[in-house]
Amino acid sequence: MKMDDLEFRKRALANPHDTDEEFIAATSSSTARQQLVQELRMLDSRLSEVLLSAPIPTDLVERLKSRQPRAAAPKTRTMFSRYYALAASLVVAVGVTLSVGLQSARPSAADLQFHDDVLSHVYREAPRYSSNLADLSWQQISQVITEAGGHLREDERIKTLHIKFANDCNIVPATRGAHIVLEGTKGSVSVIIINNSPVTTKFDVTDPRFTGKIIPLGVGNLIIIGEKEEPLESYEALITDAFEWVI
Amino acid sequence: MSDTPVLDDRLKQERYEALVDALYQDVYRYAYWLCKNSALAEDLVQETFLRAWRSLDSLQNDKAAKAWLFTILRRENARLYERYRPDIVDIEDQSIADSDENEPDQRLDRRLLHEAIATLDKEYREPLLLQVIGGFSGKEIAEILDLNNNTVMTRLFRARGKLKHIFVPDSKSGDDISEGDMAEDQD
Repeated sequence: MKMDDLEFRKRALANPHDTDEEFIAATSSSTARQQLVQELRMLDSRLSEVLLSAPIPTDLVERLKSRQPRAAAPKTRTMFSRYYALAASLVVAVGVTLSVGLQSARPSAADLQFHDDVLSHVYREAPRYSSNLADLSWQQISQVITEAGGHLREDERIKTLHIKFANDCNIVPATRGAHIVLEGTKGSVSVIIINNSPVTTKFDVTDPRFTGKIIPLGVGNLIIIGEKEEPLESYEALITDAFEWVI
Repeated sequence: MSDTPVLDDRLKQERYEALVDALYQDVYRYAYWLCKNSALAEDLVQETFLRAWRSLDSLQNDKAAKAWLFTILRRENARLYERYRPDIVDIEDQSIADSDENEPDQRLDRRLLHEAIATLDKEYREPLLLQVIGGFSGKEIAEILDLNNNTVMTRLFRARGKLKHIFVPDSKSGDDISEGDMAEDQD
């Protein structure tokens, strides 16, 4: 059966280098069809030239062979990164002691893996503190923080929070951490402190149920996760103000 | 004591390095045009090859390595970056800057084509990248994208139709192609 024009155009645009006999015969049946195929092949040639000209990092092949992670995530050329870099510079300039700052615009692959691990942990632990637990004493909370390698300054504003759960945290094996849960306005709020490598940048938790932040905090990380629409900023300010690592 | 584990490790490393040598450029270019950012592309390629190393034993046939790596890369891109990408086109102009030897008209053409590819919807851009960079057939693209063959061919047809409309505006052949000519087949 002869190929009609619509079918021919569809096949030519889908693949102008089609070597199927039926397509080749259909191409040679008219000069208009030959012209279309010729134009599309020229377009493909230019397309190929542009796509294959993407510059490849010179040392990429060696790094891939040695299976070394990137030394540092290079800053990407977004407006975000420029603003974040400026913000980070200002943070340093005013002498803030904790490194709660924005060092690059975008979390690294390792950061995002950490994000996924944190979320899995919170989902796994959530049933443990969903019931109406009694408030913990300051001593109980302080002990868990101490065992994680930190210190929480006694702060009257923190004492007014309904903290109902505090335990060591094992999100990252072989590192110390504390998982504290308080009653927020929308439900339970997890405050997790992990004494591991800080993430490269502060970034938001992305999840259908939870809202949250992962924040580089000195030599480790602070994670705050609550139910959607929970206002987390106040908790973040309280913790970063009162917490310090004991080195 | 047997030295088989040492030998196995060396053979695995040799196989892995051969894979890197043969395919890292195509994998990087695909990543670059997929995520439209060189830094992210580099991260993605490293993650892809790390995962490839870990599961190299599961690759039965080295001829299938390219499709295997592209599939890993797509999955990593979806897992790590798609949900975090800011809503901006971020692709750099390095590939254009390298073409200074060309005539101004050619440079303009390249720039326009560069932008047209970068702004093509992902559903059209991706099969086109797999065809031009990867050299995959329609059937292979369908397998990588988990689509049926007709859907892939329709998307390729539309992708080239959009680019052709920009670059061959005076053409009399095929100007009457419209997106309504053919409904996309259901997956």
